[in-house]
Amino acid sequence: MDIQINKEGNVTTVVLAGRLDTPASQPAAAALEPVINDASGTIVLDCKALEYISSSGLRIFLTIRKAAMAQGGSVVVKDINDDIRNVFMMTGFLNLFDIR
Amino acid sequence: MRQSARAGLLLVLVAALTLQATSLLQFLLARKGMREECSRRAESELETTKAKIMDIINVAETAVRNSAWVASLSLEMPDSMLAVTRRLVADNDVIMGSTIAVVPGYLKGRPLFSPYTYRSADSLAFSSLATEEYNYPEKEWFTKPLELGSDYWSEPYVDVGGGELLMTTYSFPIKDRFGKTAAILTADISLDWLTEVVDNIELYPEAFSMMLSREGEIMVCPAESLVMRTNVYEASANFEDTTVHRLSKAMLSGQYGNMPIKFNGKVNQVFFAPVERTGWSMSIVIPESEIYGGLRRTAWLVSLLQLLGLAMLVLIIRAVFINSIKYKEINDKKERMENELKIGHGIQMAMVPKIFPPFPERNDLDISASLVSAKEVGGDLYDFHIRDEKLFFCIGDVSGKGIPASLLMAVTRSLFRSVTGHENSPRRIVTIMNESMADMNENNMFVTLFCGTLELATGHMRYCNAGHNPPYLFTDKIHKLLAVPNLPLGIVGDFEYVEQEIDLEYDDALFLYTDGVTEAENANKELFGDDRLKAVLSTRRTAQGQLDAVNAAVSEFVAGAPQSDDITMLFLHYLKEDRTKTKQHHLVLHNRIDEISKLADFVNLVAEDAKIDSSLAMSLNLALEEAVTNVVMYAYTDGADGPVEVDSLISDGSLSFIVSDKGTAFDPTASPDVDITLDASQREIGGLGIHLVRTIMDEVSYKRENGRNVLTMTKKL
Repeated sequence: MDIQINKEGNVTTVVLAGRLDTPASQPAAAALEPVINDASGTIVLDCKALEYISSSGLRIFLTIRKAAMAQGGSVVVKDINDDIRNVFMMTGFLNLFDIR
Repeated sequence: MRQSARAGLLLVLVAALTLQATSLLQFLLARKGMREECSRRAESELETTKAKIMDIINVAETAVRNSAWVASLSLEMPDSMLAVTRRLVADNDVIMGSTIAVVPGYLKGRPLFSPYTYRSADSLAFSSLATEEYNYPEKEWFTKPLELGSDYWSEPYVDVGGGELLMTTYSFPIKDRFGKTAAILTADISLDWLTEVVDNIELYPEAFSMMLSREGEIMVCPAESLVMRTNVYEASANFEDTTVHRLSKAMLSGQYGNMPIKFNGKVNQVFFAPVERTGWSMSIVIPESEIYGGLRRTAWLVSLLQLLGLAMLVLIIRAVFINSIKYKEINDKKERMENELKIGHGIQMAMVPKIFPPFPERNDLDISASLVSAKEVGGDLYDFHIRDEKLFFCIGDVSGKGIPASLLMAVTRSLFRSVTGHENSPRRIVTIMNESMADMNENNMFVTLFCGTLELATGHMRYCNAGHNPPYLFTDKIHKLLAVPNLPLGIVGDFEYVEQEIDLEYDDALFLYTDGVTEAENANKELFGDDRLKAVLSTRRTAQGQLDAVNAAVSEFVAGAPQSDDITMLFLHYLKEDRTKTKQHHLVLHNRIDEISKLADFVNLVAEDAKIDSSLAMSLNLALEEAVTNVVMYAYTDGADGPVEVDSLISDGSLSFIVSDKGTAFDPTASPDVDITLDASQREIGGLGIHLVRTIMDEVSYKRENGRNVLTMTKKL
């Protein structure tokens, strides 16, 4: 799992690459804590290179979503592949996110 | 051949000529050197001797001259003349006698006057030479100085009166106060010492010295009988060989030099030098055999050694020549034989199947074989072919090596082909082969053979082992196939072979080999052995991959040590799928989060078996991960280590995962499902895992069994 965070003005871009499975979720959550704490702007989750996601990964997505909501920001999920879109569908996450 | 013989001869000839030429040159140079050395020594010896003689001559001359003035005065008083001579003799040891002989008529009243003093025994005696019978005015010692007007050394003579001594007389003219020669003063000198001085010359053992007088009389010579009795000059005048005469002439004319003369059949070098004042000539005669004696011997020795060397050279060249003929013959023979063996190798390799994969259209069988002969031709064989959906295969090893073994290998393989053309039973196949080979086995050779028939449709395999090492069987583990050894082919014609059978399942494999594999030896004489072989084979590979891996491992092990035996292998992988059979995978994890990563590979393995696509595989991975995560997080109390077991089962068109643990009883299926329709602010963080399991799988069931939580999830395929 590889995570890169770029903040430009009001927009924070998070590039997620690899498998966000249960073991990867703990370090991923730690890495994303600054984003969660400062979620007042626009957070773009770039999922172009995200291969896999489990419920632990989904929880991080949901946590970011809730933080943005609380701080008046917004979350955009970009370029998810079909398999992950399927997972989003199965969990009702398609309705919770602005997926582009 | 002839050319090299000629070249050899020429070589000897050139060597001989070169040797001879160099030794001749060396001989000549040495001869010249020795000759020069001899000349130097002879000349210096002559000089030394001459100096000794001249010493005495000078003593005598000086003594006489010193007395000349007194003698001149005595002319006035003739009676004092005897005293003068007496003084001269008394004072000089070399002077044996002395006289003053007055010119006849000079003294009035005394026509002849010559008082004489001479040594007699230990004292001096006196007499007069003025006697009629002696008549001194006619003597040479008197006439010559008068005639010459100067002093004069007489010819040597033997003094008959005084003990046969060799004598010479020195005469000195005495003038009166008017300058007229009035008398002759003489000193008789003994030449005893001369022989001694001259004989002292010892240049070479056989060399000798000779002294000639002015007239050619022999004064000194080793043959004493000749002394003063032979005039060489006169005697040699009539010789046929003129060299002696020429030599004496040269000597008498006061020359220095040397000349070869021949006498007693030998060549001698004569070195000569004049003795001034006396007119004598001194010579040293050296036989040439003395001068060059050593050289001659050395030359002979050198020549002999050279001859020996040349003889050896001839022998060596002859031996080399004969060897080279033999070597070439052997080489030609060897080359022909190697060519024939190469052709033999080609024929032999053409007899065994060697295009792999041999049955590319079949997907129920992966078979590959290899044969690496230790020599050009070998005695190992393998063969296989399919008839009536049966695979007939064999591997064998002929006793012995080389051409006999290769011929028997060809016979064995032909028999196998012809017998397997109509017989199905390995026992029958081996029995028929054994009978015909025992019949024609006159050389007591035999063949070990493992022969099998595999029903490709069912995996049923029958086999018969004729003394060969049993193959390895690959099921879920690797072990040696149980095989009755029986007897090798060709030993006992009516031997009753035992046939065995086994059912191969999908993915089972057989590895057949000859002992060349396990007995491959490295430089330390260690064998490759079964353990190394098993270790290599334990990795899953294609049939060809297994053979390549074993060959590589053996090569690495022997590390260039020469191959001592043929290395032959056959790998047979049975891949007929049976839909009715279940396939299972099993995985055990620790209850740690990082262990969950192992599930991805496990699911890939299962997906490959079940031939499902990657999207479904990912979903199944997700479902399994959620189920396992649940156990890892909650089944065991904090910190306790416990296993989580995962089994997969593909059966009758469905795939099941069974997750089990020994933790606290917990039924995940009992928890209510999450409401996925809620909006973000209302969504709970948990509960998603079991929801995904339920959504992805078709059936999820939980049971508590023997103290274990067992969760079974099934997906229809």
